[in-house]
Amino acid sequence: MAEINIDGVTKRFGTFTAVQDMDIRFADGEVACLLGPSGCGKTTLMRMIAGLEHPTSGRILFGDRDVTALPTHARNVGMVFQYPVMYPTLSVAENIALPLKQDRSLSAAERDLRVAEMLDVLDMREHGGSFIDELDSGNRQKVAVGRAIARRSDIVLFDEPTTNVEVNAKLQLIRAIKTVIQRTRQTIVYVTHDQTEAMTLADRIALMYGGKIIQYDRPDVLYNQPLTEFGGWFLGNPGMNFVPATVANGQISAPILAEPLPAPANLPSQGAIKIGIRPEWIAMHDTPQPGSVEGTLADQTVGIAGRYLTRVSFGDVDVKVKTDGRPPAPIGGRVHLVPRRGRITLYADGNRLA
Amino acid sequence: MTAVSGSPRSSRLRRTRVAQALDNRGTLIATLLVPVLIFFVLFNTIPTLWLLGLSFYNYSLTSGSPPSFVGFRNFIQIFNNRNNIWADLSRTFTFVVFGVGIQTVLGLALGFLFWGSKEMPGRRVALTMLFTPMVLTPVATGTFFRFIYDPDFGVLNVILHGLFSTRPINFLSEPGTAFWAVLAVDCWMWTPFMILMALAALGSVPKAELEAAEVDRLPWRKRLTLVIWHHGKFILMLGILLRTIDSFKTLDLIIPLTKGGPGQETRLVAMEVNKQAFESFNMGWSSAYSVLLLLISIAMTSVFIFILNLRRRRGA
Repeated sequence: MAEINIDGVTKRFGTFTAVQDMDIRFADGEVACLLGPSGCGKTTLMRMIAGLEHPTSGRILFGDRDVTALPTHARNVGMVFQYPVMYPTLSVAENIALPLKQDRSLSAAERDLRVAEMLDVLDMREHGGSFIDELDSGNRQKVAVGRAIARRSDIVLFDEPTTNVEVNAKLQLIRAIKTVIQRTRQTIVYVTHDQTEAMTLADRIALMYGGKIIQYDRPDVLYNQPLTEFGGWFLGNPGMNFVPATVANGQISAPILAEPLPAPANLPSQGAIKIGIRPEWIAMHDTPQPGSVEGTLADQTVGIAGRYLTRVSFGDVDVKVKTDGRPPAPIGGRVHLVPRRGRITLYADGNRLA
Repeated sequence: MTAVSGSPRSSRLRRTRVAQALDNRGTLIATLLVPVLIFFVLFNTIPTLWLLGLSFYNYSLTSGSPPSFVGFRNFIQIFNNRNNIWADLSRTFTFVVFGVGIQTVLGLALGFLFWGSKEMPGRRVALTMLFTPMVLTPVATGTFFRFIYDPDFGVLNVILHGLFSTRPINFLSEPGTAFWAVLAVDCWMWTPFMILMALAALGSVPKAELEAAEVDRLPWRKRLTLVIWHHGKFILMLGILLRTIDSFKTLDLIIPLTKGGPGQETRLVAMEVNKQAFESFNMGWSSAYSVLLLLISIAMTSVFIFILNLRRRRGA
């Protein structure tokens, strides 16, 4: 009943098109993350859902209700802003209670109960009577989260809530948001440019670029089978490898393939494509293996948890490879790579073929 | 061996010593402050002390006799209502309260209007036009308003006659209207200043908090008290304070309009000080009067600052 339906929405600011002819449906009770680089239109899309901006054309529906022309206060959405908003003359508990007070059907006892419950979930029991001066930015943002959630509106929007929070308070805030999100059955749209945040919080991620949604999928699908080169490059740290390959006579050949791959039927019989494979799906060995190709270890850096990130060069083509533990050869040495066949995806003109 | 001044070595030494001295934070601050302090002492402190001293003397520039010390006689004369100056004071207070009050209300109303209509075409032109009264010379403003108010050829009487068929009213010469006519000109001149302050005050309210209030469905009254007033009050109160002090000293507008007349109807305190000092050259007495006005101004400022701090302390 509170599914959000974006129907052919375009938003222009002067000559700049922030959101371009967008169609997307955020399912009821799901957590959807809008993920993308700065300026991709994700915040604009969210602000249009909130009613803080109005689309140049197209419709926005909550369930069957067309809200395109409605002002924000008539839409009944909760929202957490990038800048932690806490009303400065009110205490933490009063802040959370404030939107509840606008609902006259709610009794004072019920209201107090909801505030207490919210303080519990946010792990802020001892801060109920605190004022803005006594809280760090992370706790202020938690208050804003509490205010947005406690109302139990059908839809809650998060606009990059961790951006203006100090680093050490960030983790706590994300944990609190995660707890809150798991407990509610509200439809949540969460804007972020941080892929880790999106991966941890989202049921589904909408990857955006240049005012368009590139892909809207479960996080694992988005990660393993990106529909575009941009998606592969943007997600993951580092992003996917795209290795130039050629198709000839129904066979795909590339520097990292020991023997040609049979080309799927939908491929043109002739031409240049790219092979996409994530750095963690390539195994590195010091001796030749079945199906391995030989390259030169050009570079290595220590990654997280004992993983190394290396660069292996095949003439003028470089491939990023992640290894568990130290690479088997020194820099400049020869290594043997085995790409996992099942993880290979094919791209042409920036889009996936198979 | 004695140091040879002017040699490259000693001048370099001196420069490093200056640089070292400037490295010291205290010295740097003092160095930067000295010019301002000299200016302040020369043009503010010394004249004020001079004024204070002069207020205890009987000193007329025209009599030719040297100043003679008279103790508190000037102040006693003031308290005994010489030249009916208590009436001036109470009239000035009326002028300040009504003038600043009307300007604040109008300024806020128009400030909200312009704040809420950022997309309105012609907004910038309208704002520029609105601010012109403030930058005009008060003497010029007074002069052309005297023409507007003129009973024989003034445009205001023409309009009133056309609309309500009234007989010509001599706004500036009739005791019932003169004061309010002057007050109206003051409002025309200074409302733009309050619009400016209102816009600055509203501009200091964070956009995110306003949007949050919109999302939280707060009624307008709550948005005003919780968000707008909290952030905007300091600038607004500052505007009111500046306007109060300025309004208390109004002189340049009244001279071309009424010269204080009819009778004493539009004579504000500054008019009397000006007349006693620069027309009658009664320096001692006008100094004493000025000292009194200074004390009143300080008292008003203190009250304002006290109120502001009080609110902030409670709001924290």
